[in-house]
Amino acid sequence: MGAGLHNVIIGSGSAGFGAAMTLRASDPNCRITMITMDSLPFYHRYDLPQVFRGKQDWRDLLDVPPSHYDEMGIKLRRNSCVVDVDGAKQLITLAHQENVAYDRLLVCAGGRSYVPENLTGYAGLMHGFGSFEAAMRVYRDLPKGGTAIMIGGDMIGIDLALTLLEMGYKVALITTPQTFWPHEVSADEQSHLLRALEAKGMKVYEHSRPVGVARNARRKAATCVTLEDGTEVKGNVVMSFCGLASSVEFMLGADVDIERGILVNPELRTSNDTIWAAGDVCQIWHDREKAYKFYHGWQNVRVMGELAARNMSGTHEIFDVDVENRIGVDKQGEISSTFWIH
Amino acid sequence: MNERVKPVYLEEKLEEIRADGHQEYRSKSLPTWCPGCGYFSMAEGLTVALNRLEIPFKDVVTVSGIGCASRFPFFVSTYGFHTLHGRVLPVATGVKIGNDDLTVIAVGGDGDAFAIGGGHIPHAARRNVDMTYLVFDNGIYGLTKGQTSPTSALGFKTSSTPYENGDVPLNPLMMLLSYGASWVGQAYAGHPHHLADMITQAISHRGFSFLRILSPCVTFDKTNNTYANLNVNVRDLPEDHDTSDLMAAMAQAQHNDHPALGVYFEHDRATLGQVMGATSKRAGGD
Amino acid sequence: MMARTGTDIQIAICGSAGDGTIASGDIMKRAAALMGFNVIAFDVYPPEIRGFGKCISRIRISSTQAYSLKHESDILVSLNDAHAIPHVGEVRDFGAVLYDDHLVSSVPEGGHISAHIKPAQIPYGFSIRQISELATNSARSRNIVILGYMAGLFNLPREPFREIIRDKFAKKAQSVIDDNIKAFDAGVHEGQAVFKLDDVEVKRESGDDSNGSEAVMMTGNGAVVRGFMEAGIQSYFGYPITPATSIMERLAVEMPPQGGKFLQTEDEISAIAAAVGAGYTGSRAATATSGPGLALMAEMLGLGVMAEVPLVVVVSQRGGPSTGLPTKTEQSDLNLAVFGGSGDAQRIVLAPTNVEGCYRCAGMAFEIAETYQVPVILLIDLYLSNRYETVFPAEGNAFSPKPRKPLKPAKGKPYKRFELTESSVSPRALPGDAGLMHTVTGLEHNELGRPNDAIHMDMSIKRHEKLKPAVHFPGLTVSKRFGDEGPVRVGILGWGSSFGEILETMYQAQAEGIRCSAMKVVMLSPLPMESLKAFYDDCDEVLVPELNYEGQFAGLVSGALGRPVTRLNRATGTPMVVREILEEVRRLAEGEPSPLRSGNARGARS
Repeated sequence: MGAGLHNVIIGSGSAGFGAAMTLRASDPNCRITMITMDSLPFYHRYDLPQVFRGKQDWRDLLDVPPSHYDEMGIKLRRNSCVVDVDGAKQLITLAHQENVAYDRLLVCAGGRSYVPENLTGYAGLMHGFGSFEAAMRVYRDLPKGGTAIMIGGDMIGIDLALTLLEMGYKVALITTPQTFWPHEVSADEQSHLLRALEAKGMKVYEHSRPVGVARNARRKAATCVTLEDGTEVKGNVVMSFCGLASSVEFMLGADVDIERGILVNPELRTSNDTIWAAGDVCQIWHDREKAYKFYHGWQNVRVMGELAARNMSGTHEIFDVDVENRIGVDKQGEISSTFWIH
Repeated sequence: MNERVKPVYLEEKLEEIRADGHQEYRSKSLPTWCPGCGYFSMAEGLTVALNRLEIPFKDVVTVSGIGCASRFPFFVSTYGFHTLHGRVLPVATGVKIGNDDLTVIAVGGDGDAFAIGGGHIPHAARRNVDMTYLVFDNGIYGLTKGQTSPTSALGFKTSSTPYENGDVPLNPLMMLLSYGASWVGQAYAGHPHHLADMITQAISHRGFSFLRILSPCVTFDKTNNTYANLNVNVRDLPEDHDTSDLMAAMAQAQHNDHPALGVYFEHDRATLGQVMGATSKRAGGD
Repeated sequence: MMARTGTDIQIAICGSAGDGTIASGDIMKRAAALMGFNVIAFDVYPPEIRGFGKCISRIRISSTQAYSLKHESDILVSLNDAHAIPHVGEVRDFGAVLYDDHLVSSVPEGGHISAHIKPAQIPYGFSIRQISELATNSARSRNIVILGYMAGLFNLPREPFREIIRDKFAKKAQSVIDDNIKAFDAGVHEGQAVFKLDDVEVKRESGDDSNGSEAVMMTGNGAVVRGFMEAGIQSYFGYPITPATSIMERLAVEMPPQGGKFLQTEDEISAIAAAVGAGYTGSRAATATSGPGLALMAEMLGLGVMAEVPLVVVVSQRGGPSTGLPTKTEQSDLNLAVFGGSGDAQRIVLAPTNVEGCYRCAGMAFEIAETYQVPVILLIDLYLSNRYETVFPAEGNAFSPKPRKPLKPAKGKPYKRFELTESSVSPRALPGDAGLMHTVTGLEHNELGRPNDAIHMDMSIKRHEKLKPAVHFPGLTVSKRFGDEGPVRVGILGWGSSFGEILETMYQAQAEGIRCSAMKVVMLSPLPMESLKAFYDDCDEVLVPELNYEGQFAGLVSGALGRPVTRLNRATGTPMVVREILEEVRRLAEGEPSPLRSGNARGARS
């Protein structure tokens, strides 16, 4: 056990938070620091649609009260952006020019919202939904009964859409190949799912891809999406839900192997002895398929974080790379997905 | 002017004054001074001076410290303030600043002035507060029954120096001249007419006037500053003494053994009251 | 039970000397006053004159009048992380910490303030230096940028800030004013775009404490000066001593244009001696000092009492004893003020509890001194002297001296300056009055002022009896009770600036359901015995918290009442802590025997 060792976790999402709690449980003496770009302590991202159900005080969303971090002896560094990791010197550089030395590092930096290449120019006009602040902005900019335009969908977006529809808003969905990310669905399955969504009141645009985003003269944000076939989809906010792109730029100097994500073995360790990765940021080696695979979803991410933490403390647990990934519609027309299990 | 004068008796003097028709400066209190004390001449001198200058006694405040000399205010009929040991000058400064129309006479002995009160002298002098400081110097602490004072002679045996005084005495005239007093004079209780004259000049000088009055303590000093010794030792300032020459005054002040009587130095410069007035103008005028 | 509604937030700006920390706090408090809020502000300076020592400017902004700074701040702004880091703990949960998220050079772990922000606090990092440089080509306006950021983030009206900035730099070049406005606006732009996560609320309502006049921001020392000037002070004699020096400096500027006489004396003894001399002539005379100076003045105070001369002495207490802690606050000169000097030399002592009180007591002090022909001591402390509060000045000529009717001599009868009258106050002649000449002395004296020992008992009675009616002096608050009326479980008795913390404690105790009342005593000599007895009778327990080790006020009151009190003494150099007083109140309310309870009037010295 690493008494006095400094364990640093980059990212305070579900993986990072689970890892921190697990590390503390297995080693009461080590130093634990969580570094995040976020301004708030950990809360579940899947709870963000709650802002449309009246939960607008972030303190109600927190998983544990802030005092819990002090009680656990976990140092929570917020508003901190990692710009470099030196894998040889074991040194992290933060954007505000502070250096943090680590003995063991766990990267759970997750991913950014992916925007299709042809729309990256409009990214600044669109609303995000990755944080409480972003969710509140959507809430404020969406008038009662207003329309939210979603490009893509993905399981995060669809989860939000279902809440919006329930609360009396309108949702317009423009399909892209990422519409049911991270699930890979056949054309039939897709059609089946889309019909189920329409049954819930969603307006689906599936025959033409989005090519442009515009705002009206008065508003600062986007209110209209143009399709290839000329259709203009109008609404109050425009959001892109096309899956996640792993946040790995800061790891380039870390002496770890990176593909689209950080590559790890089934013990979730990278090619660097002292660095682990978990959650949306990493790809795990699948021995039978001979490929590195992503594992998304609230539960997977949490499991990965806790497993990596235990391995940092000396165990050699293996992540179940055969974990199943299913989406379906039941007889009542309710959509279910393993992504949403938590 | 080496006159010998017999000790002063109260009733006679009161008679004299009533006969003259002058205002009664002497109050009804009997002085607590010993018969033969030099201080009686001071009461005389002030009486005569105020009369000559025609200053109404309602406009005069006599301020004193603590000591035989400081009993003075009780024995004149001006307004009086018998204050604390060594603090006569700052109180007198306050009185003058409080009401500039008043004539302020500060009175004290050598202990009151130069021991505990020594620190206040430079500031009253350099500020040129328009007042008159009469210091009755008998080289001893009389009220407390005979201890050495800052002007006691070397070798003097008193109750606090039974094995002889080893402290070199201060030179009050040198002090006041260095501190920038604008009128410095010396007189002697044994020459009461000259004394009255000096007091008159001191009061009429506009600025800080310091008059040291040599005066025997008949009860506790039977060896040093007696009438007999002083009568022989005092002299006049040279005929050609230039009262505007500070260096000449200081040179004359060196001779403590043969004290010269008269006006050592006088100089007209702005008083504290005038400076304050100018400050007000400058401040208001901006 | 009183609820604290409305706005009540406290901002702490922390930086190094040279960062403009104090200037920033100055603009903030004046802008807040302009917006109509009640403001209390207190700055902490580094002890060195030069260098990069720590400065902290704290400003409390509230809708209703507050009585002290809070122990916790709602917002901390760091202009220098090394200095601000130790103060992060001062910010309450869900309050805001503002800082520069872009350092000039690299620091090791923990060198940036973000390493120390607690999980429950909200971090607001923004590029303060870069914003300043972009707006003004210089990093010097960082302290203005943060003001703009706060205005944007907390949705404060912008124009009051701009007005104060223009006024503050009015004597400088127009380009300086323009640059500062640009820096402010750049900060606003940044702050209003940020998503607000803290729960610090600034409601846009103005206070209702005004009596129609406009609020003025003053320190305690400034308030004393203002009160004196409005009362027509005629002569002032002073000697520099921390923390009273600024009283002297302000009067040096303000008196001469009015024809007032100002003099810096050679020491404290000559200062009070001159004040006694001037007071004797009828001039409204004053001096100001601190504990060590008051010790020097004790003999002269006795003379003032014995000779029945009116004058005013301001004493701003600091840490003692001896040279003590010149830049720290304390309340340990009460015994000296009330009793200092040889013999039974009772004088009037007033101890206001806030800046407004300093102003009012100073305004009335001369009148009180002249009415009772006695020195009046105005006892304040460093905390009051240096902290800013909004004050609503009195109307017109509230403190101006009334014209004096000169005394006429009685035919045939000698004038008795110290005549034994029914009120024990003797008709007073002034030098210059015809036919009323007399001598006053520090010796015991008869009615005529002549030395006399036999009359000592009668004169002692006179000098003490004449002061008793002072507790009913019209227009003066000698004591005041707050909180629950009638019988209460715990009463808190206090004086001076620590009453601010006492009042805050009382409100919190009430909120917890404890029947609680607090009473401030402003006139420490003579004591308002009726009010004290009535208060004591209403309380099951009486707690006396004060900022001194020996429990001087507790001893005074306990001795006067002949009843025990519970003491809470602190000698920390910093204001009392509400939490600590509250803990003691709770223990008393629970009925637990307190180890602090003492019936011994002399207290810690036994």
